[in-house]
Amino acid sequence: MNFLNKPLAFIKRDFLNEISYRLSFIMQIFGILVSILTFYFLARLFGSAVVPYLKPYGGDYFSFVIIGVAFSNYQEVAMYSLSRSIRDAQITGTLEALLVTQTEIPTIILSSSLYSFLFTSLRVIAYLLLGSLFFGMDISHANYFAAAVILVLTITSLSSFGIISASFVMVFKKGDPITWLFLSVSWFLGGVYYPVAVLPAWLLKLSYLLPITHSLEGMRMSLLQGSSLTALLPNVLALLAFTFVMLPLSVMVFRYAVNQAKRDGSLTQY
Amino acid sequence: MSFVIETIQLTKRFPQVKRYREILLHPFEKKEITALQGVSLQVNRQEVFGILGPNGAGKTTLIKVLCTLISPTEGKALVNGLDVVIDGKRIRKSIGYIISDERSFYWRLTGRQNLTFFADLNNLTGKEARLRIEEVLELTDLRDEADKMFKDYSTGMKQKLAIARGLLTDPELIFMDEPTRSLDPSTAQHIRNFIREKLVREKKSTVLIATHNLQEAEEMCNRIAVIHHAKIRACGELPEIRKLIYKRFRYVLYLQKYPDALKSRWEKLPGITLCHYSYEPSGQIKLEVELEDKSSMTTLVESAVTMGAGVMAVYPKEASLSEIFSSLTVGSTHEFP
Repeated sequence: MNFLNKPLAFIKRDFLNEISYRLSFIMQIFGILVSILTFYFLARLFGSAVVPYLKPYGGDYFSFVIIGVAFSNYQEVAMYSLSRSIRDAQITGTLEALLVTQTEIPTIILSSSLYSFLFTSLRVIAYLLLGSLFFGMDISHANYFAAAVILVLTITSLSSFGIISASFVMVFKKGDPITWLFLSVSWFLGGVYYPVAVLPAWLLKLSYLLPITHSLEGMRMSLLQGSSLTALLPNVLALLAFTFVMLPLSVMVFRYAVNQAKRDGSLTQY
Repeated sequence: MSFVIETIQLTKRFPQVKRYREILLHPFEKKEITALQGVSLQVNRQEVFGILGPNGAGKTTLIKVLCTLISPTEGKALVNGLDVVIDGKRIRKSIGYIISDERSFYWRLTGRQNLTFFADLNNLTGKEARLRIEEVLELTDLRDEADKMFKDYSTGMKQKLAIARGLLTDPELIFMDEPTRSLDPSTAQHIRNFIREKLVREKKSTVLIATHNLQEAEEMCNRIAVIHHAKIRACGELPEIRKLIYKRFRYVLYLQKYPDALKSRWEKLPGITLCHYSYEPSGQIKLEVELEDKSSMTTLVESAVTMGAGVMAVYPKEASLSEIFSSLTVGSTHEFP
């Protein structure tokens, strides 16, 4: 299990660091409860007003939005955590010490984001547990295997964009346009708060160019309707396509960024 | 003979950030600053080699190139015979870089937790890592403080932990960038003793130190390279550098009297320059002279005795590293090969 030593070392480092800020740690847990309550009351306000659009997902807005919000966290983490891990290490001054170790840069960057992914997973589980136990969310028919496949593909496809974002930070330090553009468009068109079916036809087409749309669609269908992987094939194929195209591209961009930063001598600057 | 470190005409130019006005007026013009210019050096095994230079001279850039953190623009840099551009991974396995910047640690982790993390990243795990961590903690006298948070460490302890981290992999080649910066004189001396006794004498490591501290360089280094404005101005053992710069011979004389007649006589002697004279609290007169030829000293002393100056003492004076450094770096036009 030697290959896990380094990722585990990063997770342990971040966990020790996080729990040393006790108030922040408690506030993060509290934040999950607050957002669940917000969406619960929002769902009560709307009642059954949006039922036609929500019918494919079981008709309940609360369940729809909780899954949207919970799993869109992965998008945020994938986009932010990689670039933030570089930026934080540049600012705190630890990047240089990391780069002279016997660990390659991609391992450092990817491992630095693992804690965020784990913490997000805990948040997602908390959303689903609290939602189903106390707020009437029905995931009794969920196909967890299909949901897990969709989740893995979501992380790999979105991380590619995160790696490109990290490349920008590596060279330009600030002003990364990828994250800003990608997240704004995804929140708007990805179907986090409302089904993409409510969008006009031309925007609907655009929405399917985003991995988050396929990810949330697949996640909702597998968790709320128990859809099988066969039924989710269009979403699975779309996420696979994003992964196969974007992952090698992002690795290339990242390599170029590292070499450029080494040439500029700005690898550890901020 | 193979060198531990060898640089051949190593040059590093950094792009400079252009002002908005420059971007508008000369959008395609490159703006660069030269940090290293044609640097050629060889470092032998088991020696302490000092890179001496004022702030901004290029010392840190040189170390970062050798540690594979920065790519050279031109020339070649070899560490243990490996090229820094091609063999970065293998080079990092064989070196320890002691980073003096206290920000390079995780402040809310303990000293031991920091070392464990960096040990993992250096492929040291389990029992091997634990033993090595204890060893470096012992070596740096930090065992009793290892479970305190790094933020609660004193500056000296932080520096020691940086050394402990650099030694985790028991490297044969150690890079140190200003290892005693911001330390009080006693802690600095302790660190210097540690480097000299433990690292060099006992462990037979090769150490490359970048410093602007002349005392440190003089006390610790077998050889020194003086770097200024991106170029190596002089390189070698201290006596070699002295000879290179001061081709004349310097002497100090203590006289009881310094009559005008003697002064006029000496002024007429060829190849002698009177540098400086002062009155000592004892009433004696201290004179510093420079001679082109050592044998002129006999003439000088004879004339002083003849004219009743009362020669109390005569001894040769070597240029201090501080003088050499000033000569090479302050308004210097010297160029050395």
